[in-house]
Amino acid sequence: MTFINEILNYDSLSIVGLQKNTGKTVSLNYVLDRLPVERKRIAVTSIGIDGETTDQVTLTQKPEIYLRQGMYFGTSEMHYRQKRIVSELIDVSDENTSLGRVVTAKALTGGKILLSGPSSTSGLKRWVKDMHRIGLDLVIIDGALSRMSLASPAVSQCMILATGAAYSTNMTTLVQQTKFIVDLINIDLADEATIKMLMPIEKGVWFVDSESVLHEIKTVSSLSQEMRFEGMDDCKMLYVAGALVDGFVEKVRKNPKLKNTELVVRDFTKIFVSPQQYRMFLKTGGTIRVLQKSKLIAVTVNPTSPLGVTLDSDTLCAKLSEAIQLPVYDLMKCKECN
Amino acid sequence: MQLRDHIESPCGLRYVFEQLELQSGYTRRWMLDMPMMRKGEDIVQAYDTLRKFVRFVEQVDTPYINTLQFRLQGLKDIRTTIKNLGQQAVLDDIELFEVKHLAILAVDVAERMKAHGLDEAVRIPDLNEVITILDPDGLKMASFYVYDSYCQELRDLRSKMRQHPEQQEDLLLECAEIEEGVRRDLSKQLYRFAKPLEEAQVAMACIDMNLAKALQIKQLGLSFPTISNDGISRYEAMFHPQVKDALEMRKRVFQPVNITFGQKPTLITGANMGGKTVVLKTLTLCQYLFQYGFGIPAAKADIAVKDEIYFCIGDEQSIEKGLSSFAAEMKNIDAVIKASREDKKIVALIDEPARTTNPTEGTALVSALVKVLGGETVSLVMTTHYDIEPTDARCLRVKGFEGGTMNYELIEVQDGEVPHEALNIAESLGIDEEWIETARRILNPSNSIGLDSKGSNSTPSKNEKGEGND
Repeated sequence: MTFINEILNYDSLSIVGLQKNTGKTVSLNYVLDRLPVERKRIAVTSIGIDGETTDQVTLTQKPEIYLRQGMYFGTSEMHYRQKRIVSELIDVSDENTSLGRVVTAKALTGGKILLSGPSSTSGLKRWVKDMHRIGLDLVIIDGALSRMSLASPAVSQCMILATGAAYSTNMTTLVQQTKFIVDLINIDLADEATIKMLMPIEKGVWFVDSESVLHEIKTVSSLSQEMRFEGMDDCKMLYVAGALVDGFVEKVRKNPKLKNTELVVRDFTKIFVSPQQYRMFLKTGGTIRVLQKSKLIAVTVNPTSPLGVTLDSDTLCAKLSEAIQLPVYDLMKCKECN
Repeated sequence: MQLRDHIESPCGLRYVFEQLELQSGYTRRWMLDMPMMRKGEDIVQAYDTLRKFVRFVEQVDTPYINTLQFRLQGLKDIRTTIKNLGQQAVLDDIELFEVKHLAILAVDVAERMKAHGLDEAVRIPDLNEVITILDPDGLKMASFYVYDSYCQELRDLRSKMRQHPEQQEDLLLECAEIEEGVRRDLSKQLYRFAKPLEEAQVAMACIDMNLAKALQIKQLGLSFPTISNDGISRYEAMFHPQVKDALEMRKRVFQPVNITFGQKPTLITGANMGGKTVVLKTLTLCQYLFQYGFGIPAAKADIAVKDEIYFCIGDEQSIEKGLSSFAAEMKNIDAVIKASREDKKIVALIDEPARTTNPTEGTALVSALVKVLGGETVSLVMTTHYDIEPTDARCLRVKGFEGGTMNYELIEVQDGEVPHEALNIAESLGIDEEWIETARRILNPSNSIGLDSKGSNSTPSKNEKGEGND
């Protein structure tokens, strides 16, 4: 499969599911099974609880994560004690989760494992950095969309998105919603000078004038209803360090002074704008740029919902692929083909 | 009482503590659990050790310190594991890893300490044997699993597992039994090391702490105190690090202060904004720093050891307790008086007692307090604006305004007469003229005509003040 080779161009990968039961774990196992473990040193961890044998919410059967010999993994103390492989501990961190501290180990045999890694962005970042420091080539993060900020571009260079009937059993809706997320993931990066200038700023709303001078806009937050754009006749760019929401985008769109203003956010996980508002903004000539971006490598689908509805796999893959202009895989089916 | 109980004292102890570059979270917790030293010999010993670390940081180069600090970051709190070991429990892989990790770290740090003659200052038990037990292949790596080398049967099973992955589940069960046996055996061999492991953990926290304190001494310009045996504490060029830093941020300079206090009650009077409260804060801070073995923010310090330290700062309203500021203050001072009746050496630093009540009763309360706390067991330093009746207390006064700037120097005066500079100072702050003028007329009705604000804004001499007070 071509996307496996593409992953090797990056040092970190997140796999995120648009919803539970969209086949994220299948995608992870698929990737782990095919990576060339003999020439790449690979580590894998998960955000919080994952890899349970049964889904905690719907009680449906979930596939376990299968590690190959030589792979490194980060999990909680509790899950380490339940491991069913031979592995060598290399670190016990101070990072605490509800299941104990995060431990890091190397698989000495292949086998099944329950993954539950760092539960905070800073902890996850630290873990990824530690893995690179001890010389690993690729770090894989098993993420979740509900907590997508943990799998944000701040943490990983590339990503695989898992979607499926669990997200919506109406194929048209599923395609549209998935396309919207893909559009957000694919938002272009701002230019280098802008990234350099804005990256250190982690809060507040700012604007940049045509002389490239940065001004802070005094407001409580971008969520504030009181937002006014006074004294901003010369505004080239508007930067929102926190969450970007509908109300703000609408104000920008309706303000004639801000007609040619570029809107900049940290990364796509900070965008909490409805598809309608987002499209309207672009349609009326607005542009959005991000400071950090993950390369979306592939989209995978699980056509079966936990409630038993199954969409036609081929049609779904074809429709989605056409909409997002990227290859789409039903990995369960691919597995059967192999 | 532990550091944890004192750290929130409004004297700024937390500020100094937080500026320590501690490498391990364990060291931090261990320090917060430290009891305050109350014996001179303990304090002497603590400073002797610290002195050796100051010499060490002066001798070695920065990269060497950085490497040591990096190693100390690996110090983890494994008290639970050590306790399990002490109770002869069978340790699991994670616990055995922790023990091995600690042992490797201890041996490494011990070697570094020995290379610089610090092995006597902080003794780390030799844990080489622990490493040998947990490192059968001699890899010297801080990683652990139940190694194949512990048992031939285990080695065979695992190699079979790799050749026949389909049998893995069954083979794992067989392995698990053997592994448990190995862990039981290893734990048994390690039982006698529970105590040395615990000592090693504490010793490394001690090294982390001393290294941080030594670096702080260099960084903040702190000094080593001597121990006063006559109950009198003497400070030369004393400063408050937090206030100094805050002033430097605003491109201003902290004026260091000399002060001696101890046997007789000491009263500090002086103008508003004359730094009286800062003096009390700094004295309290220094006393804590001394009894927890930190460097002292003064050019020279000779400090008396105390059993208890009391710092009563007036404006602690206790809203949760439903006490007014006066009530809260009275209760705090009451605790000092009660403590003074026990057989304890105490230092009490009280900022403007009874300031929130009427001056008549306030003056009486303060005068009485000097008498009540005048005993030999109490070293009392108190600031006040009240003119209290002459006692055998020593009186210090902030020099005050000189040519438009405040001189924070403390000078000894014969009586506790308080300077009357409030109106001038208020004026220098640009406070409403009408208000200040009206106050002047009330103070001195006969002189009010012709004495405008401009005419009286130089610092009044003592005579003028005397007149103003009549």
